[in-house]
Amino acid sequence: MDEYIAFEQLPFGADDFADNPESRCPCMLLLDTSGSMGGEPIRQLNEGINTLKMELEIDPLAAKRVEVAMVTFGPVSYESDFQTVDNFYPKQLVASGDTPVGAAITLGIDLVNKRKELYKQRGVGYYKPWIILITDGAPTDAWGHAAQLIKDGERENRFAFFAIGVEGANFDVLRQLSVRQPLKLRGLAFREFFLWLSGSLKTVSSKNPGEQNKLLPPTGWADL
Amino acid sequence: MTWKTIGQSVTGTSHLQNGKGCEDAGSCRVHNLANGEYALVCFASDGAGSAAFATEASAAAVSAAHEFAEALLQDGRELTDSHLIALGEYIYDRLNEMAAAEEAPKNEFSCTLLGCIITPQKSGFLQIGDGAIIRNDGSGHFTQIWWPYNGEYQNSTAFIIDDPSLAHLQYKVIDEPVTEVALFTDGLQQLALNHVSMAVHQPFFAGLFPALRRAESEEHLSILNTRLAEYLSGNAINSRTDDDKTLLLATRE
Repeated sequence: MDEYIAFEQLPFGADDFADNPESRCPCMLLLDTSGSMGGEPIRQLNEGINTLKMELEIDPLAAKRVEVAMVTFGPVSYESDFQTVDNFYPKQLVASGDTPVGAAITLGIDLVNKRKELYKQRGVGYYKPWIILITDGAPTDAWGHAAQLIKDGERENRFAFFAIGVEGANFDVLRQLSVRQPLKLRGLAFREFFLWLSGSLKTVSSKNPGEQNKLLPPTGWADL
Repeated sequence: MTWKTIGQSVTGTSHLQNGKGCEDAGSCRVHNLANGEYALVCFASDGAGSAAFATEASAAAVSAAHEFAEALLQDGRELTDSHLIALGEYIYDRLNEMAAAEEAPKNEFSCTLLGCIITPQKSGFLQIGDGAIIRNDGSGHFTQIWWPYNGEYQNSTAFIIDDPSLAHLQYKVIDEPVTEVALFTDGLQQLALNHVSMAVHQPFFAGLFPALRRAESEEHLSILNTRLAEYLSGNAINSRTDDDKTLLLATRE
């Protein structure tokens, strides 16, 4: 993988793997930051992400195991690389641009696959990665390829993909994207959603890799 | 086959707080030999925190060591144990002279020494005090030449100036051209060595050498030197040590 990286970008210096041999539980957040998220939604989203960090930090095992990465759209931007939460300093997200869901998913899946390769190289175990899409609109790019990648990935048990729709999201598209039933966020209950996410990640990351586990019920944030 | 080297000494956070400068010194030099081949010479030294002339002592030890090694290599004779002992004595004499010139007790010039001289045929190593020299054993695994010398307590060690007979000088010459070495002072001991298993903490070096192996130009080496200084003064390191730290890395291509 390194041969595609410019010399200036080569990893240098022992990374987190040097000191933390725990198995990793990667969680990729694909976050809609299009113009329609402006105002209260983006504020609540930012707060929700901080809640996620704080909740995971207070669980000593989750703090060493859960790694969060963020891709925002649009335009698609790799905001933050996989980090255990003590090194995860989420930037304040700003809403602007369109909704290139397809490109964001494609990038997200690629980054998750690369992360798994890195875990293998560094000899740490890992849990099934989670990819979580949060959007309030409809894709403004072609998303057919992304939907196929999700179907293939789910079928081959490479990751679990969750689609969360905020008020105004196109649920028809979300249903075609996601193998799992997309969930609708109640109002702007981002905080509750991220509390649920941290709770579920803690549950997952406290089990042995490979063990089957059930998610917490999405109470308090989803309109079922 | 020549050598690619990088190396930095960075002031520890406790020294910054106390208004002290960096009392470590270290450098690598690559020498052209008469037969067209190359030799690598690296020395590092940690000036004792309690010594008044710690900075001067470590700098003098490193430069005296380089002088001696350069003369030795120009001489073209094969490296032996007795050369390494003579090197230690040469540094001892230099520090002793400096103490006399300052009319200071010689222990005000206390400093450790780590060094290697690697020619295409032989690899010589020497060490007094703590810190460590590690080498690639040829299979990509890093091993220490000696475990750091500490007395009973973590903050005590041996210094060149302690004893004219250099009782604590460790030295050896092996008939093997080593391909990769790293030298580091005790500021990095907690990160680079595993004190439970008494072994090199492999990931520490696995994160550093690949980039150095990839370097293809002086510009690349200068980028890595900058990044090494940033890394050594960054949070990842400073959260584990407040001491000065020197790290020298060399790889043969």
